[in-house]
Amino acid sequence: MIVKLAWRNIWRSPIRSFVVMGSVIVGVWSLVVILSYSYGVVNGYVKNAISNQTSHIQIHHPSFGDDMDIAFTLPENSTLDSSSSMGGFSYSKRAVVSGMISTTKGARGVTIKAIEPEKEKAVTTMHTEIVEGEYLTEDKKNQLILGASLAEKLGLKVRKKAVIQFQDKEGNVIAGSFRVVGIFDSGNRLIDDAQIYIKKGDLENLIGTATTHEMAVLLSDPDELGSVQQALTAAFPDLQVESYREISPDVKLYETQIGTSSMIFITIFMLALIFGIINTMLMAILERTRELGMLMSIGMNKIRLFFMIVLETVFLACIGAPFGLFIGWLTVKYFAKNGFDLSAFADGLKQFNIESIIYPSIEPTLFFQLSLGVIITAILASIYPALRAIRLRPVEAIRKL
Amino acid sequence: MRVIKASQLKKTYNPKGIAVEALKGVDLNIDKGEFTAIVGPSGSGKTTLLNIIGGLDRPSSGQIMVNNTDITSLTENKLIDFRKENIGFVFQAYNLIPVLTAKENVEFVMLLQGTSEKERNARTESLLKAVGLEDKIDKRPGELSGGQQQRVAVARALAPKPSFILADEPTANLDSQSTANLLDMMLALNKEEGVTFVFSTHDQRVIDRARRVVTLEDGLIVSDVTR
Repeated sequence: MIVKLAWRNIWRSPIRSFVVMGSVIVGVWSLVVILSYSYGVVNGYVKNAISNQTSHIQIHHPSFGDDMDIAFTLPENSTLDSSSSMGGFSYSKRAVVSGMISTTKGARGVTIKAIEPEKEKAVTTMHTEIVEGEYLTEDKKNQLILGASLAEKLGLKVRKKAVIQFQDKEGNVIAGSFRVVGIFDSGNRLIDDAQIYIKKGDLENLIGTATTHEMAVLLSDPDELGSVQQALTAAFPDLQVESYREISPDVKLYETQIGTSSMIFITIFMLALIFGIINTMLMAILERTRELGMLMSIGMNKIRLFFMIVLETVFLACIGAPFGLFIGWLTVKYFAKNGFDLSAFADGLKQFNIESIIYPSIEPTLFFQLSLGVIITAILASIYPALRAIRLRPVEAIRKL
Repeated sequence: MRVIKASQLKKTYNPKGIAVEALKGVDLNIDKGEFTAIVGPSGSGKTTLLNIIGGLDRPSSGQIMVNNTDITSLTENKLIDFRKENIGFVFQAYNLIPVLTAKENVEFVMLLQGTSEKERNARTESLLKAVGLEDKIDKRPGELSGGQQQRVAVARALAPKPSFILADEPTANLDSQSTANLLDMMLALNKEEGVTFVFSTHDQRVIDRARRVVTLEDGLIVSDVTR
């Protein structure tokens, strides 16, 4: 009967109830959209970072990360068996050195990534980001691909030549002439400006020895990251096996930040809602003072009265939540297919490695978090009005007009 | 059998720091089956006395025994439970729960008591029949006249099988016909089922039909007549 009473009570003033429900619907809807948009931004960022830079896992000499010294190579017998028990993955070996690229127009400090072109295709998406010319091929020596922005600064075009210089283990300067075969646009200004790609064999020819600094591993199932990393660490106890989160702390920051910002958004929403609900419930209690006094007079104890007010508040808040979630889901579904087009801000977004079309995505836990948030909000918001109700003195309350 | 025994009840209010004595030492005994009207001019203390007898208010001093329980010594929560089990209330403004039907209003206190559904249904039906509203069981208070609402209020007060019913000016908002009907019904319940009624009123129509009339003036009983 208390449940029935609470349910019917919220419909005594339909307009007031609809206002509260409306604010819950709008609040929940906007949160779903904002948070799924944020997840979309972060997912795009992480996806870009993995496909363009880090892969899921990288293996290095333990000292390589300090200053990328050319001397810190991996043992040449380091190979990964993709048929092992570690699950599906692809990998590619790289030599990575710091050096300089020079043309008649100028010189720039760059990271030279010497790759196995065909194997690299399975690990990064660089081959798909060529906007002019072509990707590295095996048929000709000393090929070079570089970012569009760097090419512009150096006045380089496809088929033009550039000189690449770097120091070997002994500190001797090694230089080689390379021909530009392709220009890429990765969408990441940091890569486009500061990384160039050549073939691993060409670099080894210049050095005169086989050289591998890095093995990049891309997993078929990213959820297996932890177990594969563990298995690789066990397989290469003397090497450093790092996940993309460790290699690129900004990615980790983004991933953890999204959880924090979600909680901040939800908390702000809850606070705004709490005050709205408290106001509504206090008005409802003021209007029903005599009735509440009567209920206590005829034997409704304070626990039941408290419970009734809490229940009314929970009903009021919770009716709106499913509608808000549903409308939010529909909105996200639409934009997940069509994307939020932020092309107008593409240049600015590129600086932050964020794509210009954002595809929002909903984490299923968000629905649970929001539903729980609304219920907690309603319960918190009901406490003060409920306390006000049970503090009424029946003898005074029943005489209120 | 004595259901109410009030001894030297005093009640002093202090609105705005000025002490006002509403009751100045009232002794009153009421036995089972009585049909008693407490009368007096406005401000004589009859509503205060009724509130104290009903456990809605506490005396400044004195003792009130209801069914041999000193209700002045009960905590607030125990007092609520005591009222639920022992006292039926009929208010001047009916005070029904507007979102519940007549039937639901009547069975409400029985639900609080934990009465079984079968017993609840049977008692609700018989009570609404007794007050002549068996055809209005699914009507909400807003769909009933003032007289009909007060009848539902009487049925609700009777539902938990209380020791007595306290009615504060029950006819104040009713027209002559509704007042007569209500009094007929309550007198019948008193006579046939032995229900004890205690009214506060200054309605002469009620006073005329009460068997005992207790008159209060300035917080003291000035006459107590049984007819």
